[in-house]
Amino acid sequence: MSELTNILEESVARLFNEQLDNAVLTAVEESGWPGELWDMVSELGLPGVLLDADHGGMDGSWSDAAVVVRRCGYAGVPLPVPEAIVANWVAARAGLELPDGPVGIIPVTLAADAFAEGRFGGKIARIPWGRDAAYYLGITSNQNVVVLGREGVDIECEDNLGHDPRDSVTFTDTPVTHRAETTLPVDAVRWLCAMLRSAQIAGAGARCLEIGVEFTGQREQFGRPLSRFQAIQHQLAVMAGQLATVEAMSAAAFHAMDTYGIGAGGRDARFEIAAAKCRASDAVEPLTRIAHQVHGAIGFTYEYGLHFLTRRLWSWRAELGGAGEWAEYLGRIAQAEGGENVWAYITN
Amino acid sequence: MTMEMDSLRFAPYTMPESLNALRAEVRAFLAEECRNFSPVHRSNSWDAFDADFSRKLGERGWLGLTLPKAYGGHERGALERYVVVEELLAAGAPTGFHWIADRQSGPLLARHGTEEQKKTILPKITAGEACFCIGMSEPGAGSDLAALRTRAERTDAGWRVNGQKIWTSHAHRAHYMIALIRTQPAGENRHAGLSQFLVELPADGITCRPIKDLTGRAQFNEVFFEDALLPHDALVGEEGGGWNQVIEELSYERSGPERYLSCYVLLTHLIDVVKEHASNATLRKIGSQIALLAALRNMSLSVAGMLNDGKDPGLQAAIVKDVGCSFEQGLPELAQELVDLEPTLANHGIDYQQVLGNLVQLAPSFSLRGGTPEILRGIIARGLGLR
Repeated sequence: MSELTNILEESVARLFNEQLDNAVLTAVEESGWPGELWDMVSELGLPGVLLDADHGGMDGSWSDAAVVVRRCGYAGVPLPVPEAIVANWVAARAGLELPDGPVGIIPVTLAADAFAEGRFGGKIARIPWGRDAAYYLGITSNQNVVVLGREGVDIECEDNLGHDPRDSVTFTDTPVTHRAETTLPVDAVRWLCAMLRSAQIAGAGARCLEIGVEFTGQREQFGRPLSRFQAIQHQLAVMAGQLATVEAMSAAAFHAMDTYGIGAGGRDARFEIAAAKCRASDAVEPLTRIAHQVHGAIGFTYEYGLHFLTRRLWSWRAELGGAGEWAEYLGRIAQAEGGENVWAYITN
Repeated sequence: MTMEMDSLRFAPYTMPESLNALRAEVRAFLAEECRNFSPVHRSNSWDAFDADFSRKLGERGWLGLTLPKAYGGHERGALERYVVVEELLAAGAPTGFHWIADRQSGPLLARHGTEEQKKTILPKITAGEACFCIGMSEPGAGSDLAALRTRAERTDAGWRVNGQKIWTSHAHRAHYMIALIRTQPAGENRHAGLSQFLVELPADGITCRPIKDLTGRAQFNEVFFEDALLPHDALVGEEGGGWNQVIEELSYERSGPERYLSCYVLLTHLIDVVKEHASNATLRKIGSQIALLAALRNMSLSVAGMLNDGKDPGLQAAIVKDVGCSFEQGLPELAQELVDLEPTLANHGIDYQQVLGNLVQLAPSFSLRGGTPEILRGIIARGLGLR
């Protein structure tokens, strides 16, 4: 673990512990964009964790970024911090410096023929915080990173189950403000965002388990805390096992990004990323089911606030491809390579 | 402020590149050696007993990898051993003969054994010539191991042992047993007064009676001690310190690749059986298990790293075994959900069916050996601060 990892663990935890609680999360659901928190996040430099120090970044690795992203999941952060980390990295690799303000990341490949004379037209569904974005970033089918401005943008507001914005954005003759060739594959944004979700699921799952442990230690029935009942202990132990698989696979995916990066062919982080999102999505069911079960009815109330995590988990599970889609990617590798050769993927 | 679940994070452990050569070497050897083993034989994994094969591994320097050079070991570290072991298991190589010795008895003796024990026995383990068994369970002491009653009394002639062990794999053909025996009557602290002994087999006063399991094979045993006399220096480690030594051993026993690879051979056959005409739904089910397998491998390797760094990953090891066991036991279920071929006995049906038939029968034992899920979840719950 690097020194930066430790600093991030502590500083990000402190920021979100201080700034986010159920009241704040409730207020954000009602009135939207928490601008002050975004300013604090930016002040701390979190969106630039992967950037070079001479570009105002932290010189961080993907494993360092994982710490931040996981924390965002842990605290149910209602901001596109994970997306901003990826956007900054994608832009920096193409030699672009992004404008100020929050990014609306486009997690699909933009068709090259939708661009004409430096302008873009088309409709993109479910852009995180599309309504609040100062600009949009995506990769085109001819391997260009493009930044789109707000001109000619029409927003249809939609939220995911966690009430985080996932807007449909229609671009009409929207100017491309920045463009640069990239060596990244055209689908890199989607893959990287799927990896982000695996870490957010790990973080939110960890918080659910902590709350569950705390609650069952306090709540008494039949004259003793729920945590003294073996049936409860075993449910939480199963939950811990599920969480561990998500934590381990997600960390492995970020680590693989550090080691191999993401490319168009050959050994890269795709196997680990697919496994991480698949495992994370598969684990959401047991994680949320057990978290709610050990809480009883109180966990089902709005006031208690477990739902700030579990509703996000239910959306993150499906966003950027559910377990099935990523499992199919892995299944196709097995089909193509044959049973015996799967082992080489497991062991690198 | 609540506790934070950092102990569940299983930091990635990077296998040093220097081990790639070792892995390639082991793979090449296994491709050659295992060619003639039938698929169903390969699905017996670390239960399959083959002294010749173990000796070959010893000749190549792949046993006793962590044991000190002074006693014939290779001192190459836990990760080297991890590479060799996971390759053996993935290939379905027969490792039963040396399994216990290489995994836990060797390291136990290296840590706690007497000079004499180390000098005589560790070289044999490294050579693949020593078969060990573990004398822990008793008729009245299964999951509740501290309830064991076999007792050793110190006499002028040595330790006189009376009692009975059960479910002792390979006892009838092992050269040694590491037995956990009561040297003081159980007092208020039942974990006190237990000691570990090195027992040479066969021996006067010790009778092994193989127990046939549901597959018809007799791999485990009842072992009777009737005034069996062990030399004074048969004690391993501290008198009365047996419980802590056993707990330490279990960290090694619970987190290794054997805890999620028991059905790996079935997974490979399943993939090949559905290969041509697999539907998307089938590929998804298989892919989901591959993701879980990859996660488990990362967890297990992370624990190996912790052990290598001198940490005590008791909680993490219990989690690997608990999740790993669910995974292993789920594979025969998945296979039958995806493929309409019934499980068969060896020599009936296609390879896939034989492997399935074997593992359907063996699967119940996966959650019995080395700690049941009930025990493991108790350990995990303690780690979570619930008890």
